[in-house]
Amino acid sequence: MTDNFEAPLVIAVPSKGRLQENAQAFFARAGLEFVQGRGARDYRGAIADLPGVEVAFLSASEIVGQLAQGLVHFGVTGEDLVREQVADADARLELLTPLGFGAANVVVAVPQAWIDVRTMADLEDVAAHYRAKTAKRMRVATKYVNLTRRFFAEHNVGDYRIVESLGATEGAPAAGSAELIVDITTTGATLAANALKILDDGVILKSQANLVASLGATWSAHARAAARTILMRIAASEAARRTRAVFAQLPIPVHEQVAEAAQQFDASLAFGDDSDPQGFVRLHCPKNKSAELAAWLLEKGAERVTVTALEQIFDKRNALQEALEARVGGL
Amino acid sequence: MTATPNPLASEAPRRAAGARALEHFLEAGFARIEPPILQPASSFLDMSGEEIRGRLYLTSDASGEELCLRPDYTIPVCLAHLASASEPAQYAYLGPVFRARPGQRGEMTQTGVESYGRADTEAADAEMLALALEAAASAGAGSLKVRIGDVRVFDGLIGALGLADAWRRRVRRGLALGKPLATILGAGNGANGQAGVLAALERADHKGAKALVQDLLAIAGIATVGGRDVSEIADRFLEQAAERAEGGVGSDSQAILTRFLAISGDPDASAAKLRALAFEAKLDIGALVDSFEERIGFLAARGLPIGEFRYDAGFVRDLDYYTGFVFEAVDAQDASAKPALVGGRYDRLARRMGAATDIPAIGAAIWIDRLPLAGA
Repeated sequence: MTDNFEAPLVIAVPSKGRLQENAQAFFARAGLEFVQGRGARDYRGAIADLPGVEVAFLSASEIVGQLAQGLVHFGVTGEDLVREQVADADARLELLTPLGFGAANVVVAVPQAWIDVRTMADLEDVAAHYRAKTAKRMRVATKYVNLTRRFFAEHNVGDYRIVESLGATEGAPAAGSAELIVDITTTGATLAANALKILDDGVILKSQANLVASLGATWSAHARAAARTILMRIAASEAARRTRAVFAQLPIPVHEQVAEAAQQFDASLAFGDDSDPQGFVRLHCPKNKSAELAAWLLEKGAERVTVTALEQIFDKRNALQEALEARVGGL
Repeated sequence: MTATPNPLASEAPRRAAGARALEHFLEAGFARIEPPILQPASSFLDMSGEEIRGRLYLTSDASGEELCLRPDYTIPVCLAHLASASEPAQYAYLGPVFRARPGQRGEMTQTGVESYGRADTEAADAEMLALALEAAASAGAGSLKVRIGDVRVFDGLIGALGLADAWRRRVRRGLALGKPLATILGAGNGANGQAGVLAALERADHKGAKALVQDLLAIAGIATVGGRDVSEIADRFLEQAAERAEGGVGSDSQAILTRFLAISGDPDASAAKLRALAFEAKLDIGALVDSFEERIGFLAARGLPIGEFRYDAGFVRDLDYYTGFVFEAVDAQDASAKPALVGGRYDRLARRMGAATDIPAIGAAIWIDRLPLAGA
């Protein structure tokens, strides 16, 4: 790819299923509405009011591949696939932020009947026994070949063979095609239904969908400007989603109360001013602490406290932009 | 005169060096063997474990069978030997082997020898190391520093201490991974949280243990599924119960192991230290030390400077088919270099590869690209 400043910034998002819906909702919340091309089957789209940005609808594993090769700038994909498919993921990609959906764990699961096996150390022991006795290695069914290899090596488990499985992995032990599995699970219900249990220390990765940036993509001036806009809006809506605005009138001076609210409730002044002559304060605090903060403000002499949800909070600096700038330079 | 980092710059001299080393093997009566470059991947994964998968160049054929470019000659030669079923047999090879390593060339040249079926163990051990060192010298290699070990002495000592088989495995693997002994012995068998079951089993026999496991599974409503049966689970509980009753590796055994692993240096002096340790700790490993000394005798008789070799009691390989003598040699001028010459005895390999019985086997391989060659 040549450094063509006209080339669009490309965001790769999942092309189907729950992941697509969630990704679409996530971007829409940030004021970034996907506009699909002609008909729902078109695999390229755009963002409503943001020219020069292209949205590529791809399968989850294609997204990882294209990010790694630098063919797209941003992608929405599970951390499990990133870690599995890209050997030097941290050198080629930046996981900017978890997105709060697509949560699933990659785990080591063995038959429930193995009541003597609870930990990876047990598995190491049993696998070695199995090999000594049968002259064969225990088979691990999985599609996560690389994650398995790394995790087992960390736990000194050497006596096993991987059987690649691209679907219905949890059925492999019952079918006799493997002794244990490494698979992704959300609730563990499918594993339990197949008489499998997760080892106590057998969680390889707690994965969820991430906004991932490709470091190898062409970061032209145009792409940087578009990235800045996108990250600013995402950061603004995410910050707003986590935050509540709390409004009250306190007996003056309010200085001490504001300091204590910061300590107890992670609250801060929305605009850094605690010198209002009538004691009006506008605080921002984490969503889950707003009710406690309100009760506390009443105790401190407020007659009424209002709590409001926020649409967007734009800050001069935001963490997403800083994380990307640390890797590809100024946006 | 250190090993050349860029093999491409010195292709021709290295090719000639490889040819000269092979010539030496052929003159010694070894027969040239050239197994296919494309090999079934399962042979290597079964023998060396999944950990080598990352270093294999993998592909597959139309039927979906996994194939790889051979990462070494030992396993392909073993397969070829088993297919030909003639013995004893002495093979020599020269050609490319392939290992994927980030930032380095994946293709390297190896030459070496494999000997199958010789019953005169110690003489064969000494001869193979001597032959490989001579071949390296005739290839033009500068001085090499030789390190030797003995897996049989190692296994024998652990056996004589009366430690469970699991401990031999853990210690061997731990040492190969470079862990200190205290860490390895501290890890235990992971039977935490099972104290109740284990206490219940302390005086139980196999039948009792099996019944208990069956009851536990029935209470939990678990239908047995996959890989291991009730008997195996019961036996493992019994083993853990026994280990728990013994309280792991006792401090006496630990002290002896520590003393043993500290034995290193001059081979003759080390043999004397091994004998002294065996005598003081009342360990019956005399025959193994005899064999060790006999081998040193054969090496000295071949005119090798045995006093310059270094023995390490803890030098063992993590591959369980190694059964006796192990050795490696590095550029004497560069202590951090990777071994240019490696080898050992693996009497268990043939059976692991499908033979009906163990077949005495020993091999040595020279990494031509790592040899310190003058002017290369």
